[in-house]
Amino acid sequence: MPPSTPLQPVNPLKEGLANRAAPEPCSLVIFGASGDLTHRKLIPALYNLAADGALPAAISVVGFARREKTDASFRAELEASVRKFSRQAVSDAAWTGFASALCYHRSEFDNLAGYESLARRLDELDAVRGTCGNRLFYLAASPDQFGVILENLRLSGLNRGREGGWARVIVEKPFGTDLPSARCLNDLVEGAFPEKDTYRIDHYLGKETAQNIMVLRFANALFEAMWNARYIDHVQITASEPLGVEGRAGYYEKAGALRDMVQNHLLQLLCLTAMEPPAGLDADSIRDEKVKVLRSLRPITGDDVFRHVVRGQYGAGAIDGKRVAAYRDEQNIPPESHTETYVALEVSVDNWRWAGVPFFVRVGKRLPKAATEIAVHFKSVPPVLFKATGEAVDDNVLVIRIQPDEGVSLRMSAKMPGASLRIEPVKMDFRYGTSFGKATPEAYERLLLDAMSGDPTLFARRDEVEEAWKFVDAIREAWQSRSDDIAFYSSGTWGPKEADEMLKRHGAKWRRC
Amino acid sequence: MDASITGPGLPVEIGRIDKELGKLWESADGTKTRASLINLVIYTEDPGSLEENTNLIAAIAGKHACRAILILADPGASGSGASAWISAHCRFSGKGENQICSEQITFRLDGGAAAALPNIVFSHLDSDLPLCLWWRAPFREPLDSELWSWIDRLIFDSSSWAEPLGQFALVKRIDQLAESHAILCDLNWARLHSWRVSLANLFDHPAALAILGRIDSLCITSAPAFRTTAFLLAGWLAAQLRWKLLPDEHCFECADRRRIAFNSAESAGEGISLVELCCADACFHLAREAGFFRATLRAPGVPESEFTLPASPEDVTDTLLGELGRGGRHPLYAKSLEAMLPLMRFRRDSF
Repeated sequence: MPPSTPLQPVNPLKEGLANRAAPEPCSLVIFGASGDLTHRKLIPALYNLAADGALPAAISVVGFARREKTDASFRAELEASVRKFSRQAVSDAAWTGFASALCYHRSEFDNLAGYESLARRLDELDAVRGTCGNRLFYLAASPDQFGVILENLRLSGLNRGREGGWARVIVEKPFGTDLPSARCLNDLVEGAFPEKDTYRIDHYLGKETAQNIMVLRFANALFEAMWNARYIDHVQITASEPLGVEGRAGYYEKAGALRDMVQNHLLQLLCLTAMEPPAGLDADSIRDEKVKVLRSLRPITGDDVFRHVVRGQYGAGAIDGKRVAAYRDEQNIPPESHTETYVALEVSVDNWRWAGVPFFVRVGKRLPKAATEIAVHFKSVPPVLFKATGEAVDDNVLVIRIQPDEGVSLRMSAKMPGASLRIEPVKMDFRYGTSFGKATPEAYERLLLDAMSGDPTLFARRDEVEEAWKFVDAIREAWQSRSDDIAFYSSGTWGPKEADEMLKRHGAKWRRC
Repeated sequence: MDASITGPGLPVEIGRIDKELGKLWESADGTKTRASLINLVIYTEDPGSLEENTNLIAAIAGKHACRAILILADPGASGSGASAWISAHCRFSGKGENQICSEQITFRLDGGAAAALPNIVFSHLDSDLPLCLWWRAPFREPLDSELWSWIDRLIFDSSSWAEPLGQFALVKRIDQLAESHAILCDLNWARLHSWRVSLANLFDHPAALAILGRIDSLCITSAPAFRTTAFLLAGWLAAQLRWKLLPDEHCFECADRRRIAFNSAESAGEGISLVELCCADACFHLAREAGFFRATLRAPGVPESEFTLPASPEDVTDTLLGELGRGGRHPLYAKSLEAMLPLMRFRRDSF
């Protein structure tokens, strides 16, 4: 699966230590080392991997940022973050071992000399820590800095591994703001790193339950045999959260729900749900199938957008019993904003398997609860046998809960005990948290490990990203032609009634998550 | 069997266990959820181990929900009898609102009743879930092929065996039984996991990796009760580095005819405490300290001379949880055993 570097000798003692490719020794350079992502996610993820013995001993983590810091002060601030955000308690011994791998490199992003001195430092680290000339660059800085960072990596020669080693880059989302900007960013990346060494991170794909979708589908004959238009009525994909814009006004006002969530996370979930069985478990076999789904999405353009897409914005309301302000009254949001905080789409996948099966996708802020899930609604049984009894029979629904409360449930019908024939829906429920007491690894842990191991399966490929933008851009284009379609909903409700109407046309209704 | 031993939980008639378990859940107030991923059967003949095993089950069920069946057998007892108890181990789930519970059924089988072991096991399994049998007693002839053919994972701890060579031979026979598809899980091997990871990590540096092919002495220091653990580790190194035992010379030999001296030393404490791999100009030490490994390297071209690496706890609960969590087969165990058994035979006096 992951490409190994033939020039580097293989350590025979590493064989069979895990049932996955072993992460290779490397230097990980984080651009944007002072940022929130580094402190809240990346370093705690790396610490947890180190504490679990999953990282190679030969690793160094170099923070690259503009602020003046020493290695010691950088370690001290990261220690505070790890103690705050780590999923497991921090052991002093484990921290001490991990901290010895951390160092700081100060430079402006646009200063080539800073990259040249970084190159020298990485060479030194290779010698001291045995990182074998392997480099992994993580672009955790603001996206407007990606271009200059990539260009300087190229000019300084850091985009190539040293002495038989490799160089890879992890690009944090957003991957552009539309198709042209995504292409531009992809061209920039491609100018410095080949596609095989480019890892576009979508942390949703690192979640256990997202990975479980393929296992559920392809390791259970029960489901796969019924996973098609013959048996499935429709699919609902939901990502709801009670939070508002929460200090991300500047970003969110420009992005909106469609670009922030649908283009990446939700279309990825749709792909995993709708894709054909891949030829193998290697990265490209899986990503080829996902791209085929994206190419099969019926474009929603022109007036169709107003029939098949509902955009909404939250008004004032209540969350958890507390009054909350309308989006337009949030700090730094213009009072006439038309940015969507909610979007619901009816998506058609025009291929043999899914012809006639709508995929309803919705995402929203200030909804009653946090839930990300995929609900597969099976077709009704013929209304024959139980008709005379007057009993309604609910459809079977298979729900894959991505977060929180990760798990899978199946709704089915059962006879109520008693002399009369009464049918009630019952639920079979599998919960990761119930069956497995141990904490699930964070998505970033898995993804960082994969990038170190050279396994891009859970990362987005260029064509995936661009196909997703193509689909989303057509919708945005229609939106730009008018602004009177935005539907307002009260905070704390399940979104605008227009979205309910959209499902009603199909005789369906949104699931109460 | 010692008559003073009383079972944990609610005494029940064996024929009414399912009904009584049902009642147990009916009487719960709705805040308890029963969960089960596996059937974990523990078989022991140690009359003093009831409390220890119950505590173990509680700890394991907290991380790995299971239907636990604890069997305390005394095949040599004069009288014949069987008795049972039921209980539940509950823990609060993430937000602390609900309790997740695993069931434990405890059996005491005396005399002739001990022969009913397969029936006792089979009739109380949570259906369709994997069956993990932890055999905490010596394996004995005759082997009951009916029992072994239904086991998915056979767990044992070779460090606890008084006669390891004979026991390994019996385990091999179980593995070879026609109907057996059990995965052999030696906790002695599982205990070595973090040693193997850390030893492999010592050779991450390219200069260190180059020296691995020149190692000419191996010394493993362990507590007296963990000599098989030390030999198993030596077996793994020999298998991975393609060393062959030269019995007459007290050493290994590799393909290029280089000889590797093997010494095992003893120290107080638990498990393995130190592994040293050396050659003329280099030495790699890995020592276990409280909660971590300390690596000390003296090797040309390897600048870093000392660092720490994470170490998993080696107590039996954590070792078993690690094993259940990792799952899978253990092909390297078989290879390591193959390399280790000639060494054990050669140093038979040590065991």
